[in-house]
Amino acid sequence: MAMRGWLRRKKTSAKDRMSRRSESHYVREIHDQLPDNIAELQRIFTLTPDLVIRQFNSLQVEGQIALVYLRSLADKNSINNNVLRPLLNQREGADKSLFELLSVGKVFTVYNFQSVETEILQGSSVLFIEGRKEALVVETHGWPQRAIEDPQLEASLKGAHQGFVETDAQNIALIRRYIPNRELKIKEIWVGERGATKLSVMFLADVANPDVLQELEDRIKLIEVDTILNTGELEEYIEDNPYSPFPQLITSERPDTVASHLLQGKIAVIVDRSPSVLIGPASFPSFFQNVDDYSTRWLVATFIRMLRYLAFIVATFLPAIYIALISFNYEVIPLDLILSIGESREKVPFPPLLEALLMELTLEMLRESGIRLPAPIGQTVGIVGGIVIGQAVVQAGIVSNIMVIVVAFTAISSFIIPNYDMASAVRFIRFIMMLLAAMFGIVGIVVGLMALIGHLISLESLGVPYGSPLAPVRFSDWKDFIVRSPLWKMMDRPKGTRPIQEKRQGNNRLKGSEK
Amino acid sequence: MRKYAYHELSLLQYILLIHGTQIGIGVLTLPRELAEHAGTDGWLSMFFGWGVSVLVSLVITNMMKLHPDKTITDLLTLLLGKWLGKVASILMSVYCAIAAIVVVVNSAFIINVWVLSQTPGYIIFMLFAIPIYIIIQGGLRIIARYSELVFYLTLWMPLLLAAALKDANWLHFLPIIKEGWQPILSASIYTVLPFLGFELAYFVYPFLKKKQHASLGIVVANTLTLLVYLHVTIICFAFFSPDEIKQYTWPTLNLWKVIEYSFLERIDIIFLAFYLFILSTTVLTYMYFAVFCTTQVFGNRDHRKHLIVLLLLIFVCLWFYTPSFMDLKKMTDIWSIAGVGFAFVLPVLLFGPIWLLQRKAGGKKA
Repeated sequence: MAMRGWLRRKKTSAKDRMSRRSESHYVREIHDQLPDNIAELQRIFTLTPDLVIRQFNSLQVEGQIALVYLRSLADKNSINNNVLRPLLNQREGADKSLFELLSVGKVFTVYNFQSVETEILQGSSVLFIEGRKEALVVETHGWPQRAIEDPQLEASLKGAHQGFVETDAQNIALIRRYIPNRELKIKEIWVGERGATKLSVMFLADVANPDVLQELEDRIKLIEVDTILNTGELEEYIEDNPYSPFPQLITSERPDTVASHLLQGKIAVIVDRSPSVLIGPASFPSFFQNVDDYSTRWLVATFIRMLRYLAFIVATFLPAIYIALISFNYEVIPLDLILSIGESREKVPFPPLLEALLMELTLEMLRESGIRLPAPIGQTVGIVGGIVIGQAVVQAGIVSNIMVIVVAFTAISSFIIPNYDMASAVRFIRFIMMLLAAMFGIVGIVVGLMALIGHLISLESLGVPYGSPLAPVRFSDWKDFIVRSPLWKMMDRPKGTRPIQEKRQGNNRLKGSEK
Repeated sequence: MRKYAYHELSLLQYILLIHGTQIGIGVLTLPRELAEHAGTDGWLSMFFGWGVSVLVSLVITNMMKLHPDKTITDLLTLLLGKWLGKVASILMSVYCAIAAIVVVVNSAFIINVWVLSQTPGYIIFMLFAIPIYIIIQGGLRIIARYSELVFYLTLWMPLLLAAALKDANWLHFLPIIKEGWQPILSASIYTVLPFLGFELAYFVYPFLKKKQHASLGIVVANTLTLLVYLHVTIICFAFFSPDEIKQYTWPTLNLWKVIEYSFLERIDIIFLAFYLFILSTTVLTYMYFAVFCTTQVFGNRDHRKHLIVLLLLIFVCLWFYTPSFMDLKKMTDIWSIAGVGFAFVLPVLLFGPIWLLQRKAGGKKA
């Protein structure tokens, strides 16, 4: 809680420094003279060549009308067909009001220039009418959009192949398709002074815990920034402990994942313009789960879950254990094994820590270089790194064979962890563990493990324990932890997210005696 | 409004917190101490230690029941007035600090002897300070979760220890009570220190959520502790000959030395490293309550600053003076004596006055 104090501290002054909203035209009411309004608009939007102001006379309305919109953001077809055409051409029904003439879903009235500016910048068109102290806002958004594609980061074997895109309305649609229920509520919050970002807080009102929701809203409302460009930025502003390497909220680009979390009583935040959705409260085990788990056979899924936790341990500790065993506690290794290790290390001139650091850093560099390269070159990096360097480095006697095996095994293990943020945290912790192992051997590793456990159990996500169901122990939640028990066994929602309605399903399976 | 509601503990956490505090260095040294004073009948002494501990724990629990929302520092202030109460709280804090320091220095010493013979003690302490700070800064809730988790994480240890039983010689135990009850009774003094930790009910009781189960909880905690000690002692007695066992300072560690696998030799090193988990639960609780008392005295809500000061103090002391084995023994003795005072004598002395206080307060209300 105390960690967020710094956000609060700068609250008083930030607003004045960041925006120019104190200027007078913002609070000005709309005039009843059209030329005054146009002059006012031109004063607000200087150097805005894509602003269109079209003045015309309509048969239906008395007085001149001015249509104002941003050419780059508005949908021209919609303006032509639904706004201009009915106003210019239609002759019968002259007594109809403007509202009835415009064939657009959302039309509303505003009274001051602040709203006018916001709406125009969002892509709506605004109609000013001679003699009226109000303006009509017509929703005519139309900006470049991407088609819905398979998610990139979270590929799935059996799950849906629709991933989120950059428009929040589309993303909400994708989620609503999974939960068409009136209890699925959305709270809209605008964040950002310059580029206001629309955040849609989505939750199941009769399942999600209201305290957690309140906590999340309070934190979002504390944010005062220029704009939120990406979900990751939002996450950093609202997470509980900014000094932790672990992700404390889940980001997902899969609508089915979000729907599954919503049904567990979690809360999702959809950030407009960002293709990933933030989910909280998160717990440590939820980063090791995947939608595919629930559609594979539960025994197999359980095995894969165990594999992931094993991979977590291996990816965090294996190089450290290697260093500890080779440089400190070689008496633990049986004689035959230590002889063969000694043989392979015979020509290596470096201490184990240097050897391990060299190889691990090489690997991390290969990984980073591969990410942002186009696919064909990316493969070359893999070949150069994996085969050429790996082979040559051993033959040159810089690194031992066993070290290469350890590094490769570690790398593969870290790829098994399904969540990218969690895998990155592991990559980082690995180096700390290596240093501890080099200084204190096995004792260092165990103390490191102790600190890691201590850190994990003292973390919280939106005020809910991060270590649950392991610490505090909640055995009822263990059905979906290391073991992915059969779906019909998971009768209740996980208690870790503190849902207010716990029942998830009825008895879907006859007991032996009832068959 | 209740003062300690934020850090509420479940019954299981209450049990395992106290149990975790009780299990400390005792597991490593107890078999030798018992063997020295009562031979292979020593395991019987444990029941006396357990019985006395349970009795006193119940006295403490019943005493705390009279003022369910107050820790011992609040009670002492109520009883002795503001200033004397503060002095008493500081004494409590010193006692907890001594307990924590004895265990942490002992662990550093054992690590020094057994694994890292070249590393100076203060460096090892610096290493320990990292997890200690990380966990204690979260407060009692986090410590309780940690104790709970450690209990589950270390469940494999007694099972693996039982592997030594295949070379056991049960004849060591016979005849039972070979020298009469006198040595058994005299050795039971040595079982007092290993059971220390239940006195923390002074502090933990107000945090417990379901107070009606407090007595049950503390009996279960003591019994769990008894089982662990019995397990270790009986295995040690069965494995080592009655004379051999006296030669080892930490017989339990030597026991592990014998176990060997085709892929692992010297399991004792790994065991010792993991044993740090068990030791940590003792250190953490005592250290937390040491700083808890000082924060109460100084009316400061943030215990983290006090914790940093305490850790720095220990670090500097260890830097300038590395305690020898004899110093450690002396420190442990001081802790035993203080422990007898605080855990066994104090509740008996306090029970009467606190009961009277309750009567007086109750009378006023009516």
